[in-house]
Amino acid sequence: MTFKEKIESGKFIICGEICPPKSCDGDILREKSKYFKGVVDAVNITDNQTALVRLSSLASAKILLEEGVEPIMQMTCRDRNRIAIQSDLLGAAALGIQNLLCLTGDHQKFGDQPEAKGVFDLDSIQLLATVAKMNSGFLLSEQEMKKVPDFLIGAAANPFAEPLEMRLIRLHKKVKAGARFIQTQPVFDMDLFAHWMEKVVEMGLHEKCAILAGVMPVKSVKALYHMKKEVPGVKINDEYIRRLENASDPKEEGKNVAVEMIRTLRTIHGVRGIHLMPVMWESITPVIVQEAGLGTI
Amino acid sequence: MSFDFVTSGKPPISPREKKFSRLLLLFEDLVKVPIFGCQHCGECILSSTAFICSQRCPKRLRNGPCGGTGEGGTCEVYPDRKCVWYRIYYRSKFLNRLSMLYKLNKIHNWNLEGTASWLNVFKKRIGAPIFFVRGDKQKVKEILSDDIQRKN
Repeated sequence: MTFKEKIESGKFIICGEICPPKSCDGDILREKSKYFKGVVDAVNITDNQTALVRLSSLASAKILLEEGVEPIMQMTCRDRNRIAIQSDLLGAAALGIQNLLCLTGDHQKFGDQPEAKGVFDLDSIQLLATVAKMNSGFLLSEQEMKKVPDFLIGAAANPFAEPLEMRLIRLHKKVKAGARFIQTQPVFDMDLFAHWMEKVVEMGLHEKCAILAGVMPVKSVKALYHMKKEVPGVKINDEYIRRLENASDPKEEGKNVAVEMIRTLRTIHGVRGIHLMPVMWESITPVIVQEAGLGTI
Repeated sequence: MSFDFVTSGKPPISPREKKFSRLLLLFEDLVKVPIFGCQHCGECILSSTAFICSQRCPKRLRNGPCGGTGEGGTCEVYPDRKCVWYRIYYRSKFLNRLSMLYKLNKIHNWNLEGTASWLNVFKKRIGAPIFFVRGDKQKVKEILSDDIQRKN
């Protein structure tokens, strides 16, 4: 079953995430793909995350496809104008990549080359609409394509940034533009997430797209401090920080918290799946999936 | 399903029009820049952003804030600034224009950069601004219930 069919079937979805290496070593990806094969439904491939140069998401997605893992290619608007985006999308379709996550992208200021020119020709919503248009057989220039791609399009959402209503309006626009699944920012505060989810259900958006809640297992409390201080739009519950501070084995505790979180998230109405995103800790994914009782696929 | 979300470049801008456009830009410099923070994109969406120019956003987003709005609405790129979209939301709420935020704004036509918006409205390259919004809450409800109907 492909990821698309799983989304349509209503099955509980598990997504992983791989960050491509900062070199041309494709074997690192092949090595990492072993953690995901047969464990998750699809794996996100980040596109130059936080504006750092990495192996391209298009090439990485192809490598994963060869390894038998279904990729979700991320596509950001920071580095490409509309011509490059459409060209890359056609390339992805030709290589057999079917899942896309459309993002605006982090600002180049956060990377190691802040002097770069940010493109931002489109924003994420316009990118979603562009892909939807390509799915219907046309390029942005109204030119008809002989062979039509068939992408499953997804988008991101941040349930924790203020103001809540603006976030919901934006989510509504994304679904209207063609998003079929939504991956949220990592949940570190369950109450806030539950409140957001309630509103999403109220608007009826959970029926039009599959909401996949982000879960980020952390290795140490330092990572949490960093997230709280440096990463904008992330809210972390104090109790979570305290638990990791007091733990004798923070790695073990980080894993336990993630497992507990997944169990709670499954009970929230409207949550259709989990998006696991351990940063540079891919090996933990199968352990968490097993311990959370999600089983193998 | 219609996919009309790219601002058309037609009719093309003639040299004569460009001269006239510059004259109108002087007016924009005097009025729109100090009042709305206009950035001369030539494709004015002020009426859907509660009269705060969204083009001051470092990512020049036209459809709402990115995910990086910090505590108290700070911009992620310049933490000393307020997120433009944060201000737009509260102004929209204050002016009862929230229904305007649901509008999908079109992909920017860079040919129009630095031309006068009013001229582009007159030439029908872009839509006319909507100054008055009546029954905002009702409109939001209609937008949301429309979707439910379409689903059935």
